[in-house]
Parts: sequence; structure tokens; C-alpha cells
Amino acid sequence: MASGGPALESLVDQVISVITNDGRNIVGTLRGFDQATNIILDESHERVYSTKEGVQQLVLGLYIIRGDNISVVGEVDEDLDARLDLSKLRAHPLKPVIH
Amino acid sequence: MLPLSLLKTAQGHPMLVELKNGETYNGHLVNCDTWMNIHLREVICTSKDGDRFWRMPECYIRGNTIKYLRVPDEVIDKVQEETSKSRSDRKPPGVGRGGRGRGDIGAKPGGRGIGRGQDDGGRGSGGRGRGGVGGKGGNKGGGRGRG
Amino acid sequence: MAGRKETALDLAKFVDKGVQVKLTGGRQVTGTLKGYDQLLNLVLDEAVEYEREQDDPLKLSGKTRQLGLIVCRGTAVMLVSPTDGTDEIANPFLADGA
Repeated sequence: MASGGPALESLVDQVISVITNDGRNIVGTLRGFDQATNIILDESHERVYSTKEGVQQLVLGLYIIRGDNISVVGEVDEDLDARLDLSKLRAHPLKPVIH
Repeated sequence: MLPLSLLKTAQGHPMLVELKNGETYNGHLVNCDTWMNIHLREVICTSKDGDRFWRMPECYIRGNTIKYLRVPDEVIDKVQEETSKSRSDRKPPGVGRGGRGRGDIGAKPGGRGIGRGQDDGGRGSGGRGRGGVGGKGGNKGGGRGRG
Repeated sequence: MAGRKETALDLAKFVDKGVQVKLTGGRQVTGTLKGYDQLLNLVLDEAVEYEREQDDPLKLSGKTRQLGLIVCRGTAVMLVSPTDGTDEIANPFLADGA
């Protein structure tokens, strides 16, 4: 029941990276969460990975992501992240989770 | 801030809801409950592959079928107004870690503008919020076939 | 917390009207709403199922199946909307963005 309660509290107002069950990677500022790990992501953007071109960033804005649909929540080192040259990054897109 | 408080605050606002089956619904939030069940009005439904569209006057969506909701940026500020009375420990907006203000991250190398200002502009001209879901259907469904 | 009550929607106004119901797993049914309960179990009369393509369950085949009087189990109900005023339309977002 306390699914990541204290752990997420420490990330509030920080930039986090979320991987959803459908294989998307969404990066944004954590503004809130609840017991079901539903989360509020502010100023969020999706990073779309491809082996043929650099990482595309899609602006998403303010999102509520349902906890059911979240696989991973990760802390982002903003300074390190800012130094990434996403245009040179190549990666396979993630496959969706199979239940 | 609780996700459901934000959702409650978003009542009356337009929003985009994507279901687990990949269908998206654009409409105005009429009501929601503690299960995240939502009632939308003036809805446009887009099929998973983004090539068929339906207009419906209203619809009721069960909370547990929702993947995510996209709500207008300004709604979060309205929640803060309401909760700041009870929660004095909140940091004011934009004074997060490192003093990086809103709309500043657009300056990142290699990244498209992702600041709030730019996002609002995109939305006004039919960005992803309205245009994107359908308009960029190819990008979404065809590009990766996810969802 | 005005939304404390269980349902966000009052189904009463749909009684004896046509409704479209989408169910988990992808089935899609329309019918006349004859009754419901707080768990969202629905009674539909003259229900019609809209069948999907066998090889592509995303697509409706255009074929229908007459089901008659049915009960939709509430736990399987994903979405309820009135059939009245529901129409397929051309991409509304293209015109918007242009």
C-alpha cells in the first residue's frame, strides 16, 4: 500500500523520468502523487528514441499519469541531463509491457 | 499535491484523455470522482491509430481504463491557490531546485523548446493538445505503433 | 470533495435512451438503457454488438450482431456515451491546426 510513498515524496518538485507501460519515456517535474502512484508531471516532454535519428522531444505540458500505467520512476540529475546531446543519441524504442 | 485534486480543479477545462486501449478523448471535464471516473462534454474521440474520429455530446469514462490525462498548464496554478491556504510549506512556483525558472529548459542543447511559454503558443495554434492527437496521428500511431 | 459520491455521471438521464458502451477487451455495444446500478452494471435492450475485424481488432468490420436484452457487467464497462448526437466525423484537428 505504501507503494513508494516516502521515496516519491523526496522527488517532489524535482525533474523525474517516467517509463510507462506502453514504452514511452516522459520527463517532467513531479508535482504530486498519491497512494496509487498516480503522478502529476509538470512541464513534461516525451523523449522518442529511434535508431535512425536523434532523440525527438515532444512537448506534453501538464500531465496526470495513472499509476497503473507506470513502470519506472527515476530521479534525473538535471546538470548531467542538460549536458546530454540528445540529437546524437540513438536508441531502440522501448517495447510495451506485456501483462 | 494530489493528482485527483488537480483533476478536480480541472473541472470545466478542456482536456485530453488517453485510454489504455490507445483511444483518445478530447473534451471538457464536467465531473470526476475519487476513482478517477470522469465525465466529459463535447467530446472528440480519436481511434488508436489516429485515422478515425467521432464527435459525441458527452461520455463517461471509467477511471481504471485511463492511461493519462493532459490538462491545461494553468490549472496547476489554480490548485496551488486553493492549497496554499492550508499548506504554507509549499515552495512558490518556479523556485524549484537550482533556481531554474519556468520556460528556461528550452535553452537546452539539442532539445526543442520545452518551456511553458512556448508550449502555450503551440497549443494555441493547434499543437499536440488539440491538433496533435489527430493531426499528428501518423507520427503517433504510424511512427512507433505504440499504445 | 464534492466528487466523493461514487459516480461522476448520472445515468438516470440516459434511461430509455440509446447508449453506446465500450467494454474492456474491446467489445462495443449499443442499446437502449433500461436500468443500471451503482456498480455500473447496465441493462440494455435491443442491444447490438459492433463486430471487429478478426485480423485487426482495432477496426470495426461494419458487421453487427443482434444481442437482444443483455446485462453488461459493471466491472467490464469502460465507457458510456449517448448514441444520440454521436457521429463519425472527418479529422477535426487538421482544420484546427491549419
